[in-house]
Amino acid sequence: MRKMGLQKHYYLMLLPGMIWLILFSIVPMFGIIMAFENYNPGQGLFRSEWVGLDNFKYMFQLSDSRAVILNTFIIAVGKIVFNLLVPLIFAILLNELTHLRFKKMVQTIVYLPHFLSWVIMATIVIGIFGYYGVANTVVQAFGGHPKLFMADAGIFRQLIIGTDVWKEFGYNAIIYLAALTGVNLNLYEAAAIDGANRWQLIRNVTLPALSTTVVLLGVLSLGNVLNAGFDQVYNLYNPLVYSTGDILDTWVYRLGLQNLQFSLATAAGLFKSVISFVLIFISYRLAYRFADYTVF
Amino acid sequence: MKRKTASVLLAAGLAISMAACSSSNSSNETKAPSSENSPQVTGDDLAFYKFPKPVDVHVGMVVDPTDKTLPQGDSVNNNQYTRYLKEKYNINVIVDWTAATGNDYKQKVSLSIASGKLPDGMVVDDRSFMTKAASSGLLYDITDLFKQYSSSQVKEIMDSTQGRAMENASYKGKMVSLPNITVDTDGVHIMWIRKDWLDKLNLPVPKTVSDIEKTAKAFVDNKLGGPNMVGIAGPSKNTFPYATFLVSSNNMGGFDPVFGAMDAYPGYWLDNGDGTATYGTLTDNTKKTLALLADWYKKGLIDPEVGTRDNVGDPINANQAGIFFGPWWNGGYGNGDSFKNDPTANWQAYPVYSDDGKWNTHMKTTGSTYTLISKNAKPDVVKAILIMNNALVRDESTFDLSVAVGWYPLRNVMAAANETEYEYTELLKVLKGETKPEDYNKPNSLYKLMYSDAKKVQSVVKAPYDNLNVSNFNMTNFGDFQRMYSLLIGDRPFTTTPIDKKVYSITYNQTPTMETKWANLKKLEDETVLKIILGQASIDSFDTFVKNWKAQGGEEIAKEVAELLKK
Amino acid sequence: MVRNKTIGSRTFDTANVVLQALLLLSCLYPLWYTLCVSISNKSAANAGLVTFYPIGFSLTPYKEIISDRLFFNSFWISIQRTVLGTAVSMLVTVLMAYPLARPRREFKLRNTFMWILVFCMLFNGGLIPWYLTIQQYHLINTIWALVLGGGVPIFNVILIMNFFRNLPKDLNEAAIVDGAGPWSILFRVYIPCSIPVLAAVALFISVYHWNEFFNGLVLMNTSDKYPLQTYIQQLVVNIPVGTSLTPEQYKKLSELSNRTLNAAKVFIAMVPMLVVYPFLQKYFVSGITLGAVKE
Repeated sequence: MRKMGLQKHYYLMLLPGMIWLILFSIVPMFGIIMAFENYNPGQGLFRSEWVGLDNFKYMFQLSDSRAVILNTFIIAVGKIVFNLLVPLIFAILLNELTHLRFKKMVQTIVYLPHFLSWVIMATIVIGIFGYYGVANTVVQAFGGHPKLFMADAGIFRQLIIGTDVWKEFGYNAIIYLAALTGVNLNLYEAAAIDGANRWQLIRNVTLPALSTTVVLLGVLSLGNVLNAGFDQVYNLYNPLVYSTGDILDTWVYRLGLQNLQFSLATAAGLFKSVISFVLIFISYRLAYRFADYTVF
Repeated sequence: MKRKTASVLLAAGLAISMAACSSSNSSNETKAPSSENSPQVTGDDLAFYKFPKPVDVHVGMVVDPTDKTLPQGDSVNNNQYTRYLKEKYNINVIVDWTAATGNDYKQKVSLSIASGKLPDGMVVDDRSFMTKAASSGLLYDITDLFKQYSSSQVKEIMDSTQGRAMENASYKGKMVSLPNITVDTDGVHIMWIRKDWLDKLNLPVPKTVSDIEKTAKAFVDNKLGGPNMVGIAGPSKNTFPYATFLVSSNNMGGFDPVFGAMDAYPGYWLDNGDGTATYGTLTDNTKKTLALLADWYKKGLIDPEVGTRDNVGDPINANQAGIFFGPWWNGGYGNGDSFKNDPTANWQAYPVYSDDGKWNTHMKTTGSTYTLISKNAKPDVVKAILIMNNALVRDESTFDLSVAVGWYPLRNVMAAANETEYEYTELLKVLKGETKPEDYNKPNSLYKLMYSDAKKVQSVVKAPYDNLNVSNFNMTNFGDFQRMYSLLIGDRPFTTTPIDKKVYSITYNQTPTMETKWANLKKLEDETVLKIILGQASIDSFDTFVKNWKAQGGEEIAKEVAELLKK
Repeated sequence: MVRNKTIGSRTFDTANVVLQALLLLSCLYPLWYTLCVSISNKSAANAGLVTFYPIGFSLTPYKEIISDRLFFNSFWISIQRTVLGTAVSMLVTVLMAYPLARPRREFKLRNTFMWILVFCMLFNGGLIPWYLTIQQYHLINTIWALVLGGGVPIFNVILIMNFFRNLPKDLNEAAIVDGAGPWSILFRVYIPCSIPVLAAVALFISVYHWNEFFNGLVLMNTSDKYPLQTYIQQLVVNIPVGTSLTPEQYKKLSELSNRTLNAAKVFIAMVPMLVVYPFLQKYFVSGITLGAVKE
């Protein structure tokens, strides 16, 4: 009996969230129909011509779609890998610092870029990599020729991955640093007494302490392999780098809001959602199996 | 004498229109007169009719986020232009939404088309937006109302295009939008060059592309524009190396005259004369020109930041560039800061000739922006929008331009196709004393800005008038200076030098297949062309591009375009 | 900690300190660069010559901003959005997290609700349907579109739920023995025990609201309704140059490409985050740790 009473309270607690969810997530989901019609704004969502899978077929015929999917994949995977590794190395090195106040200061300041939006970071990235920017000052100091970084399709992906890692490495290191504070200091002492040098300490004590975290984070980021970061790319790209820099999200945006191909845009968006859903599902299963970690 | 007749006529017109108001007031309070209930009101009285009751017109508007000309307290909904419309015509403008020029505005237009909820009126700058809205049945068929409610001036301007403007504004034979009509010379691109630097180096004005190469080299070598000297400025990240059939004019910083001098017309659909059509970008001459531009880029003659700058004007305004290409208004209007930074910057305009001394140029379409009127607009609202357009065309020259005229709701320029040539010729006559400004005081003239320009010209331009340089101009009123400079320097080549070859595109609109495939092909083209110029791809990649372009729908489209030739 | 200070070890330490110092400087550079551009001489900045230090000195941009009504307006809208958005989101999130943290035997439909949430987190109907629904609700151009438009922060619900689930079971049982109902358990027991994680989530949500620009661009109809990031985006990143502009429009645009002024605006937009985050550091550090890596 008491349990029934509780249920009522639980529903009540969920109510505001569910209303919000229904209004702003579930109702718009009916728009997915658009992906299967030739959407005509004059006729509306429910009376437009039904075309089945035509939009998807057409999408895969476009040479754009293949390039875009590939770009998305490369950029996203690059970000996943480097956003795991760079913060890991940074955390280990930071952990080796002996001057505690300096350590604290570094820690505080490297979080800073994470809190700035891509709108703002883009102005800075464009400044740094502009023709007269710092990057070219450095290139010239080493005797190179100045380059147009922002216009070079050959390096745009690296630039995207690199600037993302730069923005996030400090913040992403937080988890590793937390895991390290949990390492028993006695372990280091014991190893040092055994005559282990710095490198051996890192290899035998620090790294093992972090390995579960790395694996877990790696698995969980599987769901992101089609998330290349709309805000960042949207604010940094230009037509010269479309061939390597255009990603699914920006492509969908341009199809829908610049080229008026509403149905095609929805189809491409749906494609991304489905793939991501499957991947996330897999990653959660993996995390559960290998790390005994339940997400929800 | 003339002036008196005109004012008498005007007074008579006013009287009739006032009579019309009162008569319609008595017969029908809410509706503007239609031909049935007030047959006595016709023509231009209808075109400048004051509604008896306020008519609300909802609009979507493009705004310039950096504009600072609105006086304190005024807003997009309430400024000198909206007040003018309210007082003179009883039109209440209500701005539903605004967005910044460019992508943001396109996005708002897309969203309003996607939702099927257009404001009563909005101006779009891409014909595909108009056709999409029309094919979705969102637009008002204004065929009849336009005939009834447009001023004779507007109709005359429309007629000055020999029906091309009407064709552009129509979808499936029905007029569904108001087109803009711009002067022909907007599509004729010329070379702008720092004559003061030429003089300093004792160089002649370059005529051919090889002359330009030598001159640019001399500019760069002598670093006349400081350490970051740019020989030839080029397109920004938002503009293109050449104008195309869809955007056939006002390509500041493009290389159009260089292509023309090489007898290449990229971006245009060319008539082969045998019933087939070729896309100009695919020709050998285009390939040759691209190789030449790539060579210039490699030699450091073209701006190293070409294609990535935010703004075409940056190196020009910073007086780092010696040469750029663009239409008549690019010097003066287009590079005001250059003169502000260096009042002796003597930008002069010349054609670029082919090696055998011919001036070839591609020609533009009548206009590329359209005022869309929602299907759900009430007839009175449609009439109001037509009247707003009539009023703009008639009265633009009388507005106080210290508030940017861009704030005029639904502003969509209509000018006679030869307005600039006419003004160039007549303004020189005024300067030389052959005519007087008052001679041009003709209300409803096809050349709507002539009178006000004639009154200004003497205070801006100093003698001698035969060979105008920047030193002949008085910059005190900078806005007036810019207009006069553009007219008298920028339009001189087009008005005074005959063009040997004028190339029109077979079409300036999208064919059905283009509606789905063009965006993709255009992207392919833009990428290839810029990469070749920047040396990121070899000139050989051009052939691969041609092959891919044809395979990905280009061939199919070329056949559709050829079909148009049969008409 | 005992360390044998060999030469190699000392070299390593020195190199490490240098490296960390470089990293630190690279993270400060955005701030420094923006400040330098904003106070530099206008023509030097427009020519892109400012890199490591200001060229010339001028406070004109900051003086200009003081009279810029639109800028402060956007600033104020961003503050409203962040405060309202964070408050609404936090309330809803905490209320959802508690029942979902109950074991299934206590709350039967727990898993069903959980799946609905996860589904909604991963699936969406696309930009245009989303816009159309918000338009149907007549929220376009209102602050509520910004506050609610992003949807329920489901990820944060899961984060807090996980934290609640890991609180000692005794806590719950002791409260029940004392006769407390679910509401008082949530507000009197759970929430006070979870301050660090709640602070962290509140920070995440407010950072989202402060930094988000795209919804502002799509859902707001006039520039006087834009939040700050949208305002800056359309001004700085989307410098509008089109080929179909009229000469007069073009003229104005080319005259006003103003890097120093824009940099000053960007700099001011950075300030709130700079002021806030160092103070919340200990919360978000513990919040992330607790939420992501549960022991």
